[in-house]
Amino acid sequence: MSGVLGIAGYVLREAAARKFILAFLLGVTGVLVTLSLSLRIEVVDGALAASRLFGEVMDTNILAVDVALRPIFMAAAAIVFYGGILFGIVSCSDFAPSLLSPGRIEHLLALPLRRWHILAGTFLGVMTLAVCAALYGSLGLVLIFGVKTGYWTVGPIISALLACVSFAAVYAVMLTTATVIRSAALCAALGGLTMVAGIIAGYRAKIAPFIEEGLSRELFKAVTLLLPRLSSLAQASMDLAASAPLGVQSLSMLLAGVLVFGLGMLAVGFWWFEGRDY
Amino acid sequence: MPAIEVIGLRKTYRRAFRRQGHEALRGVDLSVPQGSAFGLIGPNGAGKTTFIKSILGIVQPSEGAVKVLGGSPEDPRIRARIGYLPERLHLPGSWSSPAFLATVARLKGLTPDKAANLRLLERVGLADALGRRIGGYSKGMRQRLGLAAALLGNPELLILDEPTDGIDPIGRVEVRRILQEEVQRGTTLFLNSHLLAETERVCDRIAILAEGKVLREGRLEELSRGGSRWVVRFAPGADAGALASAGFTAAGSEGVYHVEASDAAGLNAALDKARTAGALLVELKRDGQDLEAVLASAMGVAA
Repeated sequence: MSGVLGIAGYVLREAAARKFILAFLLGVTGVLVTLSLSLRIEVVDGALAASRLFGEVMDTNILAVDVALRPIFMAAAAIVFYGGILFGIVSCSDFAPSLLSPGRIEHLLALPLRRWHILAGTFLGVMTLAVCAALYGSLGLVLIFGVKTGYWTVGPIISALLACVSFAAVYAVMLTTATVIRSAALCAALGGLTMVAGIIAGYRAKIAPFIEEGLSRELFKAVTLLLPRLSSLAQASMDLAASAPLGVQSLSMLLAGVLVFGLGMLAVGFWWFEGRDY
Repeated sequence: MPAIEVIGLRKTYRRAFRRQGHEALRGVDLSVPQGSAFGLIGPNGAGKTTFIKSILGIVQPSEGAVKVLGGSPEDPRIRARIGYLPERLHLPGSWSSPAFLATVARLKGLTPDKAANLRLLERVGLADALGRRIGGYSKGMRQRLGLAAALLGNPELLILDEPTDGIDPIGRVEVRRILQEEVQRGTTLFLNSHLLAETERVCDRIAILAEGKVLREGRLEELSRGGSRWVVRFAPGADAGALASAGFTAAGSEGVYHVEASDAAGLNAALDKARTAGALLVELKRDGQDLEAVLASAMGVAA
């Protein structure tokens, strides 16, 4: 286990040196600070009485705080979900290819580590990064609105964690790709493809009738059956963030599907990596 | 127990959609005694790096058995006792050398010891570059850092692939000194270097690898020995005729002769005859070959 943690630490140290990721963290901090300084909300008896953004009065109806904040949290959850996964795909695409690069992988493989430690450590490192970034943004948002309105909810935090679960499935594809072909561009491309396919898979029941009946429709159904339903998870994440009733039938089944897909992809990657020469 | 024992090692790199692969190693048998300084030499494409990767478990052999320090190279407990410097070590450019060394030490399962790491960096000549990022290091400095990483934890077996590549002549002397210190400490050194003079100075045993096979292997002096022939140089003015009758044959250069003597008594008898004839001895050495000539003769190429 120490080998896995060691590699995860290696990845995190690499991440800390990336200007791209530091800029992202600064950007998130900037948004949170700007929001906390520019937004003034007055709450009377649990209802939103008046709001000012950059000193300008916002024209809003008098609503209960939780109802008023619902669209904000939903929008934030959507941004965190899709934006976070997209950013993760771009910013984490070269971690594994870099670790597997000639001159580095030989050195790592000669250390007292099992081969799977290297992949598991890379996965753990990237996921730690994703969870920390998601928690940082969502916790900041909850704190700002909690302090300003007195309405406290863990919805946005759970929603951010759901985004991380979805990213885990996408990153499993990227990591497995890196073990086969050591290319950051290809990892990012396949990560993006998985995300798009995952969005389509979420709407498979609605899309299927538009495809010609017969082999092509069955093929579409079969392929999308195996994919993680990312858009459904995104919808669930937005509902959770807004403390609204869940639109999806079973969140646990959705999560199990994503988990099975991610673990399956990782298993392929681990198997391939075990038998590969460097 | 040998430090490295390889029997019938074969490695064929196969490519997708191709029936025939590239055979990098074709049945290598090699035994590296513990505590020796072993040099692996051979031309480009001989299979040296594949051989090194095979004994570290980085490349999986197609056939044959590999034992390192009495166990399998796949076993992390065995690898914990090995220090390895790859041919082209890729280092994280944004890190400092102490941070890199601390990470490698952690991955090796060593107890964190900042002071020991700093001493090691000092030993390889990086004391003045501790605060700098590795990205700003020269090739030689990176190589020194790689050597420091290999030396972490006082390994029993050091496997170094071109350790002096990119290091300046003074630096090479320092690296050689470090390697000799390690051998004196009892570490087994397995060195792959295209610098034959370097190998000759550091190693006591040599193997010549070409086209995936070991052509020759043995102690350096055995491989380079030219049999019972000696090279003798006399001061100018020596009587060539008297020397010829004493068994000396002119070697071409002025005052340089060859003499055959199977033992010390025979050699001294011949020298006594030469001195009696008025020849003054200036230099005497066994007529041996340097490593370049040994490699060339093993390869069947004129040196």
